[in-house]
Amino acid sequence: MPTPTTLPERARVTTVIPAAAQISLQGVQKTYPNGTVALRDVTLEIPKQDFVFLVGPSGAGKSTLVRLLIREEKATAGVVHVEGQDLSRLKRRQLPYLRRKIGMVFQDFKLLPNLTVFQNVAFALRVTEGALRHLKPKVEEVLSIVGLEGKENKFPDQLSGGEQQRVAIARALVHDPRIFLADEPTGNLDPATSWEIIQLLLQINARGTTVLMATHNREIVDVMRRRVVAIEGGQIIRDEDAGGYHAPALESH
Amino acid sequence: MRGGTMRRLWNRIDFAFSSAWQNFWRNAAVSIASVLIVWVVLLALGSLLLVLHSLDQIVALEKHKASAISVFLADTTPLSSAMDFRLHLESDPRVTSVTYVSKDQAMARFSQLPMLDPSMLATLGTNPLPASLDVTVKDIRDLGAIDQEVRTSPLVDKNPPTNYEPNVIDKIILLARVAGIAGLVLIVGLTGLSVFIIMLTIRTAIYLRRKEIEVMKLVGATDWFVRWPFIVEGLIVGVVGAVVAVLIVGFGYRPAVVNLQSVLIFVPLSFDPYYLRLVLAAMLAFGLLLGSVGSYLGVRRFLKQ
Repeated sequence: MPTPTTLPERARVTTVIPAAAQISLQGVQKTYPNGTVALRDVTLEIPKQDFVFLVGPSGAGKSTLVRLLIREEKATAGVVHVEGQDLSRLKRRQLPYLRRKIGMVFQDFKLLPNLTVFQNVAFALRVTEGALRHLKPKVEEVLSIVGLEGKENKFPDQLSGGEQQRVAIARALVHDPRIFLADEPTGNLDPATSWEIIQLLLQINARGTTVLMATHNREIVDVMRRRVVAIEGGQIIRDEDAGGYHAPALESH
Repeated sequence: MRGGTMRRLWNRIDFAFSSAWQNFWRNAAVSIASVLIVWVVLLALGSLLLVLHSLDQIVALEKHKASAISVFLADTTPLSSAMDFRLHLESDPRVTSVTYVSKDQAMARFSQLPMLDPSMLATLGTNPLPASLDVTVKDIRDLGAIDQEVRTSPLVDKNPPTNYEPNVIDKIILLARVAGIAGLVLIVGLTGLSVFIIMLTIRTAIYLRRKEIEVMKLVGATDWFVRWPFIVEGLIVGVVGAVVAVLIVGFGYRPAVVNLQSVLIFVPLSFDPYYLRLVLAAMLAFGLLLGSVGSYLGVRRFLKQ
């Protein structure tokens, strides 16, 4: 007589997640409708206030992983937990409230060109009906965190790439997110500007926000000596604290 | 707390309306096309309702007149013969009553017809109207037989002997039915077309706003917060189309009735302000319905993902 496995096993997996883990992926698989397998059997735990680099070649599955965390995509198999919520059970109408807990920035900034710096940041509060009473002080506060005081009335095309990414970061901070996801945030920036952005992310991390940054930027990863999760072919091939962009063996090459 | 609720409500309204207004003008050509089609639909709807109402009134009046015929007397018939003829008809068991109408009375009645220019009568000089015996029957179905009998009398005018027109009600009812069905088919078709065009307008607006929508979803705006501006845009299209149509029908109805009446002197048309108000309200409501259904279909893809 076969023992009933599936259900208790799943329950066990759920209880095994450490209370500290803010982001948890257990055996996650993602297959796109066209048959591409973007992630296979990914298990990853990120505790609160961690700072994690997600590295790997283009198409390795970094962006898919990020998209799973904001539930832009659903895992085909496995369980994704964010802030203690099983994302596969999250209802569509609960989705906006998950997104408000997660700040996100991208390589292409995603600023609205017809709005000023102030309006771009305020937009995030207006459309989520957040801090409407204290909208102006809140926007000013996050703009001062990213060092953009005095540029409130500029339009994005009047700013440098680094400044535009700062606006995007300010917009992502406006809900006081507990998790900050950065998908190739320095991809369009020169090295000096990239460092400024990294300093900003460190500062955000120091304020108690968990930061996960997907990147190609080998130099930064190697200098920072933070936790590095390397993905290749949809699988985690390396996960080490104080790691470099490449595995030590490869680095000696 | 209360202040916060009011602030949120105001923020929602302000955001939805200012975005909708921007959308409307950002793709002005498409928006105006959808306003025009809504306008055409509502104009057709309003006109149809008013025409059917007029036909209804005519039918009701004809039905009332249907139990009576006027037997026109030749001008050569002496009054005494007319009275004998009247007694003869009154003795008929099928007849309820017979009234004698003299030439002068006929003229007086005729001149009271609505919308008739009194000076036109003055130019006639002599009175062309015949005297008549107005016969009322118990059963409408006997009218035909009585008509056949009186036609043979030498006392009766030959051109025409009576005003008996057996098919007039049927014809009007048929006309009303044909007009109703044709109008309904037209309106259903135009309604489908207008909903489709509003939907395209909203899709265009959504396409033009795709960056904003992406950011809104990214920072955690709810689905309905994203949808409202587009629903409001559809409502604006519906309301603008409806208001133009309502103004035209509202101000055009009375002149149209007066002009038609001067052509169709013997058809009793009337201006019915109470019914007009109902029609205008129905047009406005239908415009809003078109706008909301069209824009709902336009934003429906936000429901899926």
